[in-house]
Amino acid sequence: MKNRKLTPAEKRKIFRERSFKIYIKVTCIFLVFILFVTAANLLHKDQTYSEAENRMLAGKPEFSMANLASGKFMTDMEDYVTDQFFLRNQWISLKLFEDMAMGKRESNGVYIGRKGHLLEISETPDMVSVDRNLEAIKAFAQRHSDINKVMTLVPNPAYICTQLRPLNAPVRDQSLDIGHAAEIVGGSLNFVDLTETMTAHKEEEIYYKTDHHWTSLGAKYAFEALCQPLGIQNPAQEYLIYPVTHTFLGTLASKSGYNRSEDTIDIYIPKTGNMNYMVDYVEEQKKTSSIYVSEALEQKDKYEVFFGGNHTRIDISTPLTENKNLLLIKDSYANCFVQFLIPYYRTITIVDPRYYYENIDRLIQDNSITDILFLYNVNTFMTDNSIADVLEAEE
Amino acid sequence: MIFSSIFFLFVFLPMTLLLYYIVPWKAKNAVLLVCSLIFYAWGEPVYVFLMIFSIIFNYLSGLEINYYDEQQNMKRKRISFWFTVVVNLAVLGFFKYYGFLITNLNAILPFDIPYKTLALPIGISFYTFQTLSYIIDVYKGNVPVQKNFISFGTYVTMFPQLIAGPIVRYADVAEQLAKRRLTLYKFGNGVAWFLRGLGKKVLLANNIGMVYDAIAALAPGERSVLTAWVGAIAFAMQIYFDFGGYSDMAIGLGKMFGFEFVKNFDYPYISKSITEFWRRWHISLGTWFREYVYIPLGGNKVSRAKHIRNIMIVWMLTGFWHGAAWNFMMWGLYYGIWLLLEKYFLASKIEKLPSVVQQIYAFIIVLFGWVLFASDTLKDALVYMGNMFGICGHGFIDTTGLYYLTGNLVLLALCFLCATPWLWKKYRKIVLKKGTYPSIIAAVLYGLILILSVAYLVNATYNPFLYFRF
Repeated sequence: MKNRKLTPAEKRKIFRERSFKIYIKVTCIFLVFILFVTAANLLHKDQTYSEAENRMLAGKPEFSMANLASGKFMTDMEDYVTDQFFLRNQWISLKLFEDMAMGKRESNGVYIGRKGHLLEISETPDMVSVDRNLEAIKAFAQRHSDINKVMTLVPNPAYICTQLRPLNAPVRDQSLDIGHAAEIVGGSLNFVDLTETMTAHKEEEIYYKTDHHWTSLGAKYAFEALCQPLGIQNPAQEYLIYPVTHTFLGTLASKSGYNRSEDTIDIYIPKTGNMNYMVDYVEEQKKTSSIYVSEALEQKDKYEVFFGGNHTRIDISTPLTENKNLLLIKDSYANCFVQFLIPYYRTITIVDPRYYYENIDRLIQDNSITDILFLYNVNTFMTDNSIADVLEAEE
Repeated sequence: MIFSSIFFLFVFLPMTLLLYYIVPWKAKNAVLLVCSLIFYAWGEPVYVFLMIFSIIFNYLSGLEINYYDEQQNMKRKRISFWFTVVVNLAVLGFFKYYGFLITNLNAILPFDIPYKTLALPIGISFYTFQTLSYIIDVYKGNVPVQKNFISFGTYVTMFPQLIAGPIVRYADVAEQLAKRRLTLYKFGNGVAWFLRGLGKKVLLANNIGMVYDAIAALAPGERSVLTAWVGAIAFAMQIYFDFGGYSDMAIGLGKMFGFEFVKNFDYPYISKSITEFWRRWHISLGTWFREYVYIPLGGNKVSRAKHIRNIMIVWMLTGFWHGAAWNFMMWGLYYGIWLLLEKYFLASKIEKLPSVVQQIYAFIIVLFGWVLFASDTLKDALVYMGNMFGICGHGFIDTTGLYYLTGNLVLLALCFLCATPWLWKKYRKIVLKKGTYPSIIAAVLYGLILILSVAYLVNATYNPFLYFRF
């Protein structure tokens, strides 16, 4: 048969026929998908809690005329349907996969770094609040001139571990933040810059892959650098290292939704020196003989294996006779750091200014404090707004 | 409620479709009207009454104008018409521009007029323009008056185009309101339009929008030339795929319910001039202003001075229609001036350039327009434009700029490809071949768009509780 030119009418007919083949398939896919998912949504039981997101999922909204008029009922309804969506977690993983495929290396304030490392993106600090804290620390240090005072700010992995950053990712220069702090408080206390220490070990696992904290190994290197300023003589050289979990999915995994890495949490017990002590959670009025809380390993935030999380005030007492009493003013980075300090003090008083409202000067007097350590990570310190209030002198 | 949400896709749409298709023809408009009112009330439980008022008012006005016309009472007819127009504009003006007006008056006056800012009723700019098109066309005798209240209500509220257009002129759907066909072909075509729109909105616009948001949030001193340009391009892509995607979804939904709406976007970024850009961008709005403002003013069939006046009026209004703020006004004027420049000086010179250069020229003018459009204040816009030329910025190329460029290269490339007809033509060539496989390829692609988009929609409430700060 010879090829002849098709008339426009024939062309249109062919076009319609072939388009129709597509449209009928697209329609089937669309309707089947929507009906199937709608049915699945109706049939599957509502979940109240999301392990992955660590929050209560939205439930069926309550109907009232007031909720209807304000529109609350409608937004709650939309949240409810979306929160209870069939295979929610899988959809969220798919979304993250799409982001990664499109080259995005950032999710919800977290860099998806190399080798499965998640790096928290530093917030832009409010410098007025930072300076207020620093001035308060300075005044506080000057008030207690007879006590050995040490302060350090631990730089965060996004800054230290340059090799893990996504390509060209802008990162806040934390050495400037640390330098700024040292400039203000350096004259009144012993400020230790850990940048070099941490940088020297940046290829090791000094930070968790999925959590914003440092590991016990990172804390150990910092401890070694802090021994001399803290006046600790003959620190332990060897430790028994116990991995307590290999399945830790930290806060950055939750925040970013990226959960393809898992972390190991190690605890470090010095081979030499005393490890008998009492832990007194003052506000909770609970005493134990271990800083480790094994129940935390059953829960989502396994970093809480250290002290079970943050507390207003914790007192640790040891049978040591030497009159060395430490006051530790800290954030959660210190929780895994304390295990290194225990053998060298008669008492360690740990205060978290975010929850503590008592007078610190009196605490120092009552507990005959001989040493004070400020231990914060840079990200928390730069966004803190509680230190200055706690350190104010009593009228 | 927006189309790109889980609730719309998996609750509202299936229920509405089901209801619409099971009822007999006589009841279909009523079903559409009720569902559209629910759709609107979902986001505006109070202002829905304003819209109902607007429907009743314009319905009665139409009847009245028609009545005087039949009575040959031209004076009464004119009074009735102008009264209706003024009331419509007054309602729009009150809700949209009142706060703006008072703020500016307060800036000039020695005393302050107290006022409360009102929330803008969703879609009021769109439905007011639709009712106006009806009233004007009835007045001019271009369309017969609508005597059926349900049909008129359906025209105004029809949920596919209610919130973000296209601005459907009454004349374009008058016949469809009474009689339209529902075919599988049209439905499938509608699904395809809807899915393309969904993909544009959810996969392209929302993602590229995050790039612009991040760059806009930087301090001006931290923006290099590269960063500023990546940001401006990101915004241009965001607004096109957002608005264009929404229009596509509207057109698609319209087809599913048997309606044919006019095309609203036609690859605006391949335009070779600003004049052409405005023939391809938000076509329904351009048509509206041409039909109901520009031509009644005399269009271009008047003296040069009057023509310039007409252009400037139309473009000031166009700018102002987009929002009650000076930057929108400036944005409108900016286009008015460019259109006049092209008309009287540039057109002949530009036409001699290679077409790629013409396209780049038009795209760059449009980019600067978007900077005006996107900035909160005129000052912000000028600072951002300064950054694009390296003024008060962070050098020519810096790591931040490289990060946003390299991190979004795939997305940007995809945006550019989808903003030109090239990819679409290639796709059509493949899927319209003979045989079964081409149509399977097409169906898989559409299915993929649906699934990939749903993943983003589910993620909308991804909101992990973070215990680590406190």
